[in-house]
Amino acid sequence: MSSTCSVVIVGGGIGGVSTAAALRNRGFLGDLTIVDAGELPYDRPPLSKDYLAGRKSLDDIALQSPDWYDDQSITLRNNTTVAALRADSGTVELTTGEQLRADRVVLATGGQAVRPRLPGAGIDALHVLRSAEDADNLRKVLLPGARILVVGAGLIGAEVASTALHLGADVTLVDPLAEPLSAAIGRDAAEWLHSVHAANGITTITAGIDGFEKTTDGIRTYLRGEPHHFDAVVLGVGMTPNTQLAEWAGLAVDRGIIVSAGQLTSNPAVLAVGDPTRRTVDGAVRKRAEHWEAAQHDGARAAATILGLSLPAETAPWFWTDRHGLHVEAVGQMSAATTAVTRGAIGEPPFAVFGIRHGNVVSAAAVNDSNAVRAARRLIDRAIAVDCRQLGDPGVDLRKLLRA
Amino acid sequence: MSEGILVANLDDIAEGEGIAIDKSITGTDDNIALLRDDDGAVWALDDTCTHETASLAEGWVEDGHVECPLHASKFCLKSGDVQGLPATRNTCPHRVEIRDGGIWLFPNETP
Ligand SMILES: Cc1cc2nc3c(=O)[nH]c(=O)nc-3n(C[C@H](O)[C@H](O)[C@H](O)COP(=O)(O)OP(=O)(O)OC[C@H]3O[C@@H](n4cnc5c(N)ncnc54)[C@H](O)[C@@H]3O)c2cc1C
Ligand code: FES
Repeated sequence: MSSTCSVVIVGGGIGGVSTAAALRNRGFLGDLTIVDAGELPYDRPPLSKDYLAGRKSLDDIALQSPDWYDDQSITLRNNTTVAALRADSGTVELTTGEQLRADRVVLATGGQAVRPRLPGAGIDALHVLRSAEDADNLRKVLLPGARILVVGAGLIGAEVASTALHLGADVTLVDPLAEPLSAAIGRDAAEWLHSVHAANGITTITAGIDGFEKTTDGIRTYLRGEPHHFDAVVLGVGMTPNTQLAEWAGLAVDRGIIVSAGQLTSNPAVLAVGDPTRRTVDGAVRKRAEHWEAAQHDGARAAATILGLSLPAETAPWFWTDRHGLHVEAVGQMSAATTAVTRGAIGEPPFAVFGIRHGNVVSAAAVNDSNAVRAARRLIDRAIAVDCRQLGDPGVDLRKLLRA
Repeated sequence: MSEGILVANLDDIAEGEGIAIDKSITGTDDNIALLRDDDGAVWALDDTCTHETASLAEGWVEDGHVECPLHASKFCLKSGDVQGLPATRNTCPHRVEIRDGGIWLFPNETP
């Protein structure tokens, strides 16, 4: 819709900022505003890694330099919260009562860390990690020798456990699954990756948790029936999407804001991107992606839709995670694979595991071998049939398979 | 204009790959990545990604760009311009010349 003269983006995470960047990049000349509740738009992945470790400041993890917004003629309304969205009139209402009108509104509201409704879940020493403020609070308790329980060993929990350990804390990591992350990277790789925690000195326990009790010097919880005492607990058990504005505005929401392949919500004046969305592709509503690059790609698609331009090509979903100095990447859909091919040896990085279905790569996960995943992504996107023996042979240059 | 330094042979770098030349050889602040595009052309950029600490020589080289091996920001091989987040700063390009199969590097000269 090239007649769009103004766009308001609610939320300045990677989704919102990418939408704005892509709009300008592709020629949008109208008024562009980002409203964000925080001090400045910053990047979240470092919150469990270098920022939590104290190696990076908030300025270091800013998504864009402060000048960028002026250079791009983007009005950044920081420290500002949107209270309501009136989809039909294209108005967003701020908590101050001020109203902003726009031809198109983009919801890029992200989510919040889940606080499970367990007894004691409101105790002060119970932390979650979603914002820089959460990370600041958490860092204060990750002291040498502090007894820290991390609940959830998927992505954020595993990263926090690693950072906490390297800050000198005495870390226990609990997860009900024996091989967390196996849905994303495959069971064998997940089993080894989880064992790296114990090899580095973290106590790993496979158990569920049914509550917490405040004690004089911290928190008590029962793991497999045994009482354990901690100075602080970090919950890394998932995200709740921020869908309230969409719900109140009457948009279609079902455990996420339902959007089209081009990020339109059920009201065409409103688009939505990033963590809170569920995209409809080929008639099927996908799960929430909840990864950094997915939010970036959503932004590029939303911009194209607003400008009436063609959508960027679809590409297999990708994410990375870092722990104990290991860089892990995964691409595609592990659940679609019927067989697996290992390149190198699991447990001896660099190595990669490819998921295969009908002679095509459908997924890959790698530790310290990003190029195996980057090759796999292209093999998936271009639907190139592969010879499994070549794929599994570390002596074969994967780029050659792409040229085949 | 400097003399240039013979830093490698063309055969040392496969198409789509890169190698890093140590700063003790280049005399620059950072190591320099020699990156060979899939059309065979060789380009040179500061090796360390402008986002966090990663060697662009270990990145994926394709279609005039190198993709960082950590978080996949792309840089233009010719200009060093960053194409997208998470990196926000451009990297520095250096001039390269191929003579008789040798790769000559001209640090800090614009390609
Ligand atoms: C600790 C941590 C580590 C991570 N590590 C990785 C990783 O290694 N790799 C990876 O791929 N992904 C990682 N992720 C996931 C990734 O960061 C998210 O997928 C990404 O941030 C989603 O971007 P978003 O823009 O949708 O949401 P967000 O980044 O959450 O941004 C939403 C923004 O909207 C603002 N907002 C919300 N409601 C309002 C309102 N009503 N008014 C004004 N502003 C509002 C919020 O303040 C926030 O700034 C990590 C996430 C966390 C929390
Ligand atoms: S280190 Fe290169 S993109 Fe992050």
